[in-house]
Amino acid sequence: MRPFPKLRPTVWDTLVVLCVAVLAVGLAFFQWRGGQSQGLTAVVSIDGTEAERFAPGELLEQPRTYTNNGYTLEVACGVWGEVSPWNHVSSGGEQGVCVVVSDCPTQDCVHTGTITRSGQSIVCLPARIIIRLEGGVTDPDAVDAVLG
Amino acid sequence: MRHLAACILLTLLLVGCAAPADPDKAQESIQVIAMDTAMLITTYGERSSAAAYAAEDVIRDLEKQLSRTKEDSVVSQLNAAGRRMLVEGDLIPLLSSSGWFYELTSGAFDITVAPVVSAWGFTTDSFQVPSQEELHELLKLVDGSEVSVTPAYDDGEGTKATVRLGPGQSIDLGAIAKGYAANKVLEVFREYGLPRAKAELGGNVLVLGDRPDETPWRVGIQDPKRPDDPNGFIGVLELTDSFAVTSGGYQRYFEENGKRYHHIIDPSTGYPADSGLTSVTVVADCEMENGTMCDALSTALFIMGEEKALDFWRSGGVPDSNFELVLVTEDGRVLITEGLADRFVRDESSGYSYETIS
Amino acid sequence: MKLTTKQLSLCALLTAMALALSYLENLFPLSLAIPVPGVKLGLANIVTLFALYALGAAEAMLILLARCLLGSLFAGNLNALMFSLLGGLCAMGVMIVLSRLPGLSLYGVSAGGAAAHSCGQIAAAVLTLGSSAPLYYLPVLLAVSLLTGGLTGLASACLFQGLAHTDLMKG
Repeated sequence: MRPFPKLRPTVWDTLVVLCVAVLAVGLAFFQWRGGQSQGLTAVVSIDGTEAERFAPGELLEQPRTYTNNGYTLEVACGVWGEVSPWNHVSSGGEQGVCVVVSDCPTQDCVHTGTITRSGQSIVCLPARIIIRLEGGVTDPDAVDAVLG
Repeated sequence: MRHLAACILLTLLLVGCAAPADPDKAQESIQVIAMDTAMLITTYGERSSAAAYAAEDVIRDLEKQLSRTKEDSVVSQLNAAGRRMLVEGDLIPLLSSSGWFYELTSGAFDITVAPVVSAWGFTTDSFQVPSQEELHELLKLVDGSEVSVTPAYDDGEGTKATVRLGPGQSIDLGAIAKGYAANKVLEVFREYGLPRAKAELGGNVLVLGDRPDETPWRVGIQDPKRPDDPNGFIGVLELTDSFAVTSGGYQRYFEENGKRYHHIIDPSTGYPADSGLTSVTVVADCEMENGTMCDALSTALFIMGEEKALDFWRSGGVPDSNFELVLVTEDGRVLITEGLADRFVRDESSGYSYETIS
Repeated sequence: MKLTTKQLSLCALLTAMALALSYLENLFPLSLAIPVPGVKLGLANIVTLFALYALGAAEAMLILLARCLLGSLFAGNLNALMFSLLGGLCAMGVMIVLSRLPGLSLYGVSAGGAAAHSCGQIAAAVLTLGSSAPLYYLPVLLAVSLLTGGLTGLASACLFQGLAHTDLMKG
């Protein structure tokens, strides 16, 4: 004979509900802190080897600089479509990573602007530095490769 | 009771088949800077890591042989030696293909245009507009028919062949090397039995199989008018098991006195091709050799222009091979050949008008 | 474990009902209101909950396994098996533990089970995709599971109320 279950909510039920709620809020907060870019990771590779990976949100505190092959790139958190990447606080737009300043001759990395989606990358050939976004929620409509 | 036990066993068995994290979903992604461009290789499957690094090795090896800027490469040695030289390795098939596409495109594809490209400064990034006389002199050196390769033979140390250039000629394999690299990368992927993979070799894209979600790979074609916009596409190709290559004047250029000069030099004039096209995309199935074809044709057809390019396509320009095209014209049209029409997703907001060519 | 004929037939009946309920809940597409992958009512959990109290943990587990297996067979989608199994097993484990705690009512057990189901499902997604991206949905799923858990708790409470006087509850 098994115990007959309690049919009315008890105080202890509230505890279970609270536990779940705390877990949900905690997780949500953790994700929110990990950058609004939904778990995106910026991967910086220099000379073909991975040098660093970080959440784009970390750039809000301080931009990062990378030097290789005689050139220096300054990487910051930017908002897609914004003119000035220094304008960190934005009402809308997607946040991502951009190269703000570079002393490389081609300036292609700066012209690339802000990348916001997993799979996009900024390439600086003269400095042989690639910054790529990985992870996050993959949008099935996003392109996997670009021709051109 | 025995039935229940059997049920449980059966369940466990089935779970055993279905549950383990699908090895086909294992993924490796590496970036390689080689051949003056950024390359991205993404592989899937149990042997994804090994395959990706093997592909990188293949690319590095090719770069060592083919670079025109590295002095110890076979190509640099050949250019320095002029005339005659015993060569081995990948240069032999590459030179044969180059000769083949020179014939097929009536000279629009020509690796001997190298000295002219150098005069414009595209090999050294010190851009300048060469004088008319200089170009006139250099154009005399441009003639792909003078390059010859003897039949390759194996002398016990490797396959070798004698290559002969015309007097003063030099070659640049930039318009075909990445496509050839794509072939070799495909070979590696096949060797490792990958279920799916993609490789972006600076404008050359190779997709093997389909995406992990079992839909075709989505390959965006950059809008030549918005080269810096990472989301600026004229449309998206939905491809499986394909090579795709785009050539466009927007990819590399410099400006002087308000005029823009791009890097695709017409071997017949010595000037950047002015054919009314802003980009040419060539797509073909993942057959061996097709990577080279796509790369060579994208350059050649860009130089030929809309009419000749479409004639070339209609007449089945390359014997025993099929390819499809997406042409973007200066006057805002996107032309998609028939065989690609149902795999091309237009971006109606791009402002282009779209036509299907048959 | 020794099953009487009565228990065995009850197991079979409950399995059939669980399958019917899984089918039935497709008629109430909760995902229309909350457009997050994996959101559903989890009506079949009523059966699991009932079996847990009326028959015992082992029997409830059998019903769950049979339901997941048959459900994904009927749907012709063995990929879904892993999702429903991981979700179901997590829910089962948590509910077995919670049901043995003295203070909890059906509501608490049901909500805990629903939350565990979400966790199991996301774990399955993370495993199959080989990426941590699905974790992004977990907070929403957990929040929704409190709601659906409460609902199935209510339904089970009504069920037990109605069956309290029958001999079903006496094993």
